[in-house]
Amino acid sequence: MTDTTLAARPPDELIIPKKSLWDRVRKTAPYAYVSPFFVIFSIFGAFPILYTFWIAMHDWNPIGEKEFTGLENFSNLITDPRFWNATKNTFSIWFISTIPQLILALLLATLLNRQLLKMKTGFRMIVLSPQVTSVLAVGIIFTQLYGRDYGLINTFVVEPITGDRIDYGVGTWSSHIAVSTMVMWRWTGYNSLIYLSAMQAIPRSLYECASIDGASPFRQFVHVTIPQLRSTIIFTVIVSTIGGMQIFAEPLVFSGIGGAQGGNRRQFQTLTMFLYEQGFERFKFGYASAIAWALFLLIVTFAMLNYLVTRRISQDAS
Amino acid sequence: MTAAVEISDVTKRFGDVVAVDNIDLTIADGEFFAMLGPSGCGKTTTLRMIAGLDFPTEGSLKIFGDEVGTLPPNKRPVNTVFQNYALFPHMSVLDNVSFGLRMQKVDKATAAARAKESIELVQLGGYEKRRPNQLSGGQQQRVALARALVNEPKVLLLDEPLGALDLKLRQEMQGELKSLQRDLGVSFVFVTHDQEEALTMSDRIAVMNEGKLLQVGSPEEIYERPANRFVADFIGQTNLIEGTVADETTIVLTNGARVAAPSDHAAGTAVALSLRPERATLTPAGAVEAADGRTSVDGVIAGVTYLGNALVYDVALDWMTIEVREENRPAGDRPSPGDRVAVSWTTSDASVVV
Ligand SMILES: Nc1ncnc2c1ncn2[C@@H]1O[C@H](COP(=O)(O)OP(=O)(O)OP(=O)(O)O)[C@@H](O)[C@H]1O
Ligand SMILES: [Mg+2]
Repeated sequence: MTDTTLAARPPDELIIPKKSLWDRVRKTAPYAYVSPFFVIFSIFGAFPILYTFWIAMHDWNPIGEKEFTGLENFSNLITDPRFWNATKNTFSIWFISTIPQLILALLLATLLNRQLLKMKTGFRMIVLSPQVTSVLAVGIIFTQLYGRDYGLINTFVVEPITGDRIDYGVGTWSSHIAVSTMVMWRWTGYNSLIYLSAMQAIPRSLYECASIDGASPFRQFVHVTIPQLRSTIIFTVIVSTIGGMQIFAEPLVFSGIGGAQGGNRRQFQTLTMFLYEQGFERFKFGYASAIAWALFLLIVTFAMLNYLVTRRISQDAS
Repeated sequence: MTAAVEISDVTKRFGDVVAVDNIDLTIADGEFFAMLGPSGCGKTTTLRMIAGLDFPTEGSLKIFGDEVGTLPPNKRPVNTVFQNYALFPHMSVLDNVSFGLRMQKVDKATAAARAKESIELVQLGGYEKRRPNQLSGGQQQRVALARALVNEPKVLLLDEPLGALDLKLRQEMQGELKSLQRDLGVSFVFVTHDQEEALTMSDRIAVMNEGKLLQVGSPEEIYERPANRFVADFIGQTNLIEGTVADETTIVLTNGARVAAPSDHAAGTAVALSLRPERATLTPAGAVEAADGRTSVDGVIAGVTYLGNALVYDVALDWMTIEVREENRPAGDRPSPGDRVAVSWTTSDASVVV
């Protein structure tokens, strides 16, 4: 970097190097400019991560004994079926919420992008409204909708069709589906607006060209829209993966008085709920920190995987 | 023979904007047809209506005798090369070119073979696997051409296909396009706002302005017999000498001079005499008597521009300055500024325009 700035200077300045105050300021200023990120990251990012690791190596009761146990918490965790159950639930809920959500968002964006659509801005605002609704409100309302005795979904959909009522909180699948719909309701509109803005950047001539070549609207969607949205789709997948690994509020509210256990058989306890249960309900902070680290590694691994996939695909594209 | 494209009384409005204003146009089969006009005159709109990407607000549009109405683009024997190429960035050259065939359910091997032929035709053999962003502008242009040609259109529409290329490449592509059109024998409808390009390449030219069709004719007709001032001025250089029609053979210029200029406008019509700079000759004042079939006006040399192979003289008449272009001649032999001269021309070389 210094080399290039030197080379770019006129030669006379090279011959007589002046070490003025200005030069020194100019040398150090860049570090000052980038420092806020590092300062804030070390306080709120790096330090908690490392300190959590330190806590994880203890039997740590916040108001009692703090005994150093080394990696015992981690070895316990790996053999703890509750941990694997929570991991499985997290992935399951992530999968049933993300895949349909992104497909729905894509379809919604296509509809919003129609030339003929009236009141475009109104629809776009409506689509975004779940985003600005409190998660708690969403959780409470959905939990009531799914209620066994008075829930509208049971009354108007399930019972007329099957003649029976479903207790959503009891079954593994039914609870995962209930939680997933809350996540979908909150995030579909957001993703569809991201897709919409990317769609509007696709040149119209590509569609005209495809229609001249006889591509039906569906084929135009497959051969023009989807490939043009590829990097956007990857982006949304990564973002919802990171978000999905940390699903907490929706299942917690759904759990009601059951709290962070996530159902009597832990059938919908996610990793973050497991963490919360161990830390803030049982006060086993050392163990909770170990869970936090496991979650951290899981997200990092997933993000890396995503990154590799992204790079592979973008290399293919260019 | 039925015309390739027959446009009758077609008007296209976008809300209040009249993009194309009641035009009539016939394009013959196998013709290289240019549409020429300034920006915003409705060239693209006309082309899009032929392609089926827009539909006329009024009027009839026939392609090979069939009324096309609102027939979708792929049902017309027409294909388009867009100005910005509109190649699919995520597909290889081969996939881009074979896209149309695959959409028509041509089997993969045949589609690839025909696409290869088409790629060879535009001299891009060996580039099949590349992506559009790995090609130069000129090469992308060729891919766009190959992609249109592979569908074997009977009419190929080209919207300023050479607009984005530099001069050298542009001239090269002009030649190639022209010979390609001759070999294939299909009609090319070529939009441009470069009048030189239109003159050199086309069999016929349509000149448009503000949505109206001003004149259709061979390059020579358009150049020699412009229908009005706009055409005269837009195509090539010209002097527009203002005057009024006196009778069928004479007009009175602004200074009262009567010059021979046959026209069929009513006496008293305000007209202009369009005189191409290279059609006028300079002679020392009074040196020649008015010969049969020649017309002349007197003036004073106001300036000379040296162009190498030619000289352009600014000749001040009493009421305006006109340009006269002559072949270069030795310095001693040239009139110089201040000299009194007569500007003369063969009467039939100047045209009267309104
Ligand atoms: N979709 C549209 N909506 C409204 N007005 C339009 C539309 N398309 C074209 N116009 C208007 O119609 C007129 C003709 O446009 P057109 O694109 O045909 O011009 P053009 O001759 O191709 O110009 P250029 O040489 O700049 O490409 C312009 O005034 C333009 O603003
Ligand atoms: Mg145009």
